[in-house]
Amino acid sequence: MKNRLKVLRAERDWSQQDLADRLEVSRQSVNAIEKGRYDPSLPLAFRIAELFAMPIESIFLKD
Amino acid sequence: MTGSAAATGRPTRFWLILYAIGSVAVATLKLTDAIDGVTALILFAGVMALLIPMVRAAGRGPCASPATRRYNRRILIASFGYLLGLGAAIALWHSYELSDPLIFLIALLPVLPTFAMIWAMARYVIEEGDEYLRHRTIMAALVATELVLALGIFWGFLEMFGLVPHVWAWWVLPAWALGLGVGQGLQVLRDRREGEE
Repeated sequence: MKNRLKVLRAERDWSQQDLADRLEVSRQSVNAIEKGRYDPSLPLAFRIAELFAMPIESIFLKD
Repeated sequence: MTGSAAATGRPTRFWLILYAIGSVAVATLKLTDAIDGVTALILFAGVMALLIPMVRAAGRGPCASPATRRYNRRILIASFGYLLGLGAAIALWHSYELSDPLIFLIALLPVLPTFAMIWAMARYVIEEGDEYLRHRTIMAALVATELVLALGIFWGFLEMFGLVPHVWAWWVLPAWALGLGVGQGLQVLRDRREGEE
């Protein structure tokens, strides 16, 4: 699944570690999600959406 | 930086490689009858001491969560318990004429710490709060399980047709642990290829 996490993070000038701290996950998790190597669970996807104040479908896109 | 400080800063893979080389060397010496069981046990105790800096290095690594650190500590304690239990069981077995119930009890000395290792693995999966790290461990565990199944079936049929000697069934645990390491190593290699670290 594609996502806009890297762009949204860059817009806020956050590092991967900054985002990881806000989501209370490891930096590896953020990296893996950004690269599309790992699709987050629904609870984590909702946390990401909440953090960016956007609907999930605006962040995660179907391939 | 002093030599000691440099040593404590070495990455996990450095200690893992040393541990693997040491384990293979001791196993080879024992399997070729170059050393007896007691000598092998003493040498392996020395090799196992490498687990201490390895666990410390893993605790500093990028994938070190509180659950990982607890898992490493539990595995380390269980590993030393295993070595101690195995040594005591072999010494008692060789030194005394024991009844079957007593032999059963001393056989439990190395068995119980290995059960503790299996429990530690299960606890890690339950306690790991980071879903991606948990996912990585589960994927590595699948690689380990596949390795054990493949080796077991391959060796079992070779043994059935008399091509290879009989091997005691406890080999599954070290083979599984090796597979877990291989599974994690493959993921690290993939991450590096994709430019994560």
